[in-house]
Formats: sequence, structure tokens, C-alpha cells
Amino acid sequence: MTQVRHPDEPAQTDGAPLLEVSNLSISFDTREGSSTVVDDISFRIDRHKTLGVVGESGSGKSMTSLAIMGLLPKGARTTGSVLFKGEELLGRSEKWLRKIRGDQIAMIFQDPLSSLNPYYTVGLQIEEAYLAHRGGGRKNARTVAIDAMRRVRITDAERRVDDYPHQFSGGMRQRIMIAMALTCEPDLIIADEPTTALDVTVQAQILELISMLQAETGAGMLFITHDLAVVSQVADAVHVLQNGQTMEAGPTEQIFSRPQDPYTRRLLAAVPRIDEVVDVPRPVFGGVQ
Amino acid sequence: MSSYIARRLLWAVLTLLAVTFFTFLVFFALSPDPAVAICGQTCTPDRIATIQHQLGIDQPFLVQFGTFLKGIFAGRTYGEGASAIACQAPCIGHSFQNGEDVLTMIFGRLPVSVTLAVGAAVIWLVFGISLGLVSALKSETGWDRASMVVALAGVALPNYFLALVLQYVLVVKLQVLPFPSSVGFTEDPGLWFQSYLMPWIVLAFLYVALYARLTRTNVLDTLNENFMRTARAKGLPGSLILRRHALRPSLTPLVTLFGMDIATLLGGALITETVFGLNGVGKLAFDAVATNDQPVIMGVTLFAAFFVVIANIVVDLLYRFLDPRLRTVTR
Repeated sequence: MTQVRHPDEPAQTDGAPLLEVSNLSISFDTREGSSTVVDDISFRIDRHKTLGVVGESGSGKSMTSLAIMGLLPKGARTTGSVLFKGEELLGRSEKWLRKIRGDQIAMIFQDPLSSLNPYYTVGLQIEEAYLAHRGGGRKNARTVAIDAMRRVRITDAERRVDDYPHQFSGGMRQRIMIAMALTCEPDLIIADEPTTALDVTVQAQILELISMLQAETGAGMLFITHDLAVVSQVADAVHVLQNGQTMEAGPTEQIFSRPQDPYTRRLLAAVPRIDEVVDVPRPVFGGVQ
Repeated sequence: MSSYIARRLLWAVLTLLAVTFFTFLVFFALSPDPAVAICGQTCTPDRIATIQHQLGIDQPFLVQFGTFLKGIFAGRTYGEGASAIACQAPCIGHSFQNGEDVLTMIFGRLPVSVTLAVGAAVIWLVFGISLGLVSALKSETGWDRASMVVALAGVALPNYFLALVLQYVLVVKLQVLPFPSSVGFTEDPGLWFQSYLMPWIVLAFLYVALYARLTRTNVLDTLNENFMRTARAKGLPGSLILRRHALRPSLTPLVTLFGMDIATLLGGALITETVFGLNGVGKLAFDAVATNDQPVIMGVTLFAAFFVVIANIVVDLLYRFLDPRLRTVTR
């Protein structure tokens, strides 16, 4: 039987990689001319798999994720291709992308306090993500929101659903962000430095939670971070970026044990180890070519 | 919450007491002898002394202040014997020039000032916020620039100048509006509206400018907030993002400004009322200054201060309702 699909509706294609980014470049026009922030990068992500994108500030990690979501700032120019379940995402209308965002591709941002609207309860902010794609009324959405909060291990979710973001701790707020992202059971999760604003113990809990939920849902994940220790814990493959260009890419184990590129080696050398005696200065980044 | 309100009210009473004290002090120390003004041209020192005694201004400062305060809560009597004048509580002074209690005079003028302030507020809120929104959402376009030119004109043009231009064009040349007068709404609603339209526009013009600029800045700031990116990442429709996520954070700061502005205007829009000859509280103050009717000047000053203090409390309570972060901070 042939399924008839509305032309505005994203396709549900199986078999192809979940996400395939090919030769993606992003540039902005400035007064000094065109500035390229992401230069010809390519990678793919399959279901159940996590790709870690690492690099220092300004390396183009976040721009890549925003390009996938179609959330780049005004004036950005993109070339290349971003195929999600076989469908091209670049150049799509806002209306078309809206159907994908939050539903099939969800994002978890770095700073959960500023990423949540302080004027509304966390319950409403989770509900609206669900209602935008599934509909079904506020009452049902509230039940979904409470379930989502329980799933990310927020105790007393029935009561806390009516609390505001500032009434939660940093780690709890990030759990809310994760609950919001997972409400519609997305196929792809983009986590943009989700643990950077958190202290180390909370970081470990959030990483464990993300990995567990990913295993449950089978979603693919693009995990953006500057923290190599974090990426070694969560990623199946690693993509190293510097100044918008790919320095090195490969399976996590290979990147960590046999780095080929000098930049990757310097990045790894910059990570302090507990069993190491420091007698030489660590590499300094910024301006290092 | 109730303890917060009680605390705020207590502070309001203390603030009003302080305002009353300093206002009284300024009039005691700086203003010319009102007895001389009342006495007129053919005046003898004995007559001045009699009037001073009648006004109670021959007493030491603190005694005068105490009598004034007593008058607010229990009423007071000016002078003695057959010529004594009773001023009922709350008494904030008596105008010997007009032979009326100051509060009665203010209340007589208040409907005009309230009509002027509320009508102008409706105009400036509607147009100020709309212009600011258009300007922010169409930033760096012709719409933005046109809106900001209007806003700049509002700030730059003195309202007495605009009043004269409008009167000349709309009343004298085109004859589409009558000359403003203090017509009551119940007397003739049509004429009431036509009479107030020009003063409303003139008074609102400056505020439209201020509110448009503030709305523009706030909306642009909010659009750059991280939670706006989150809202888009959730796949919410643009109209919902604007209505729910952008407007509330952008417009909440306007509440403070609006509370203060409306309170100030209820204490009299001096220039607009004077230019259009509207007998409001502002015109009352203007006339009182011209004739050195000190009890009236002081009464209007206190009355305006009272509105500002009350507006402050209302704004604070409203803010706690609008911004949930404040509720927890002071819990």
C-alpha cells in the first residue's frame, strides 16, 4: 500500500542515515567582507549513536547545530547539504522546519536558566512543546509534562510542574530542558554543551540521564562540547573542529588512543590527568595554528 | 503577601509624612508672607498681624506643622470667634483668596485631570506600544525609521508648541474641532469627546515617543534572549512565540513607567491644562502660583505626592504579580 504524504509534511524514511551533513559551509557578510564560520564539514549520525563535536570557542560547533535546526541568525549563508531521514533541511521554509523542530529534532542548550522563560512555569514550557506538535488539549499536555518530569527524575513532579525556572537548581533546570526536548520522542537530539554550566557531580548525573534516555528512545545524538572528558564518556564517534574546519574525525576510541592531527594531540594533552606529574607548561590555545 | 502589603503601607505613610514635613518646611522658609498677599494694597501692620494670627503663621514652625497634621486627621479651625473658618478633616489647607477648602477645590478640578490623564494614557499606550513593536519587529527597515522619527518628534517638540499648531490647524483653519472646554461627559458626550481630543493628543504625543522607544528596546533585547531560541527550537508558531514569550518580558518594565506617569498626571498636567484652558488640578496650581495662593500650591503638591506614593505601591504589587521571580525573593 502506498502512503500518501502531504507535500508540507516531512518524510519518514527508514534505512538511510538519520542525519547526513555533507560539505556544510556557513558564512556571514561583514563590513570587512565574507566571514566563513563553518568550512566544508561533513559527518553522519545513525540511530542509537552519538557523535561528539569538540572544539574550542568559535570553532563553529554551535553554528553547525543551529544550521541543522534552521535557527541560524539573520544574514547567515549556508551551502552544502543536511539530510535528515533522507530529506534536505537546508533551504526549507520556516513552516516546514517548524514541524521538524521539537518534534523530530530536539535541542538541549547550554545555560538552562537563560534558556527557560522566567515568566512561565516549567510545566507550561514543557506542555507547549507537546501541544505544538501533538495537540490534544492542556489537560492531556499537563499529564505528559508531569510524566516527562518524572522520567528525568524530578521528585514530586505533580507539585513542581507549577514551579518557575528560578525555583530549581542548575541541575534540575537542565533536567527540565531534557524533559522538554524528549516530550515528543525526537529521532535526533542535539545537545549543545548541556553540562558546561553545571558542577562536576551534577554533570555526571546529567550525562548518565541523557545516555539512559537515548538508549530508551533509540534517538541519535549530536553532542557538542569543548570538554574531551565528557565526549569520551558519551560519544561513539568524535569530530574535532577548529576555526570552522574539520581537523580530525573518527571513532572515539581511535581519536583518544591514536590521534593523527597535531591539534587533536594538543587538545588531548591539555586535559589534566590525575596520575600525571606536571613539569612542562600545558599547551595554550587561541591563536595556535 | 499580607505582611508585605502591610510593610509597604507603613512605608507609604512614613513617606507621605516626610513629604508633608519637607513641603511644609519649604513653604515656611522660602515663600513670601501670605498675610501680605491677602491683605492687599491698603494694608497696616496691625491688619497683617491679625491675618497672620488667623492663618496661624505667627506660631513656631513645629506648632504650625503639628496643627497642619492635626487638620488632616481631625480637621481644624482658622481664626477665632465669629470670623473663625472651619476646615473639615481631611484638611490640607484653606484658600483665603477663594474662601474655599483646598481639598474641595482640588476635588472640584480632579474630574478634568482624570479625564485628560486617562484619555491620553489610552492613546499613548495603544500608539506607543504599537509603534515600538513595529519598529522592533521590522528593525533596520523603513518602518523602523519612520516610527523612530515620530518618536523623536514627540520627544523634541514641546507640547505647548504642538498645542498651538493643532489649535490653529484643527480649530481655526479647518474648524473640525471646537475649542477645548471642560464639558462633562453626561452633559454632551459628543462635545466632551471633541473637546478633549486635542488635549489628549498633545499630552499623549510625548509619552507615545517615550513608550515607543522603550518598547522597541525591550522587544529587541527580549528577541535576543536564549529562551526565544528555545521557543523556536520547540517548533512553536511565530505568533505564539511573539505573544507569549516576547511580549510579557518586554512590556512588564513599562508597568513601572506607566504607574509613575499616570500618577504624575493625576496631580495635574500643568502645561496642557493651561494651554487649553482646562480647569484641572494643573491649572489650579498654575493659577495659585500666579496669585501666590500658598495653601493651594502646598495642597496640590501634597496631593500629587500622595498619588505618586500610592502608584508606587500599586506598581510594586502588580510587578510581583507579573514577574514570578519577585514573588520568591521577598517570600
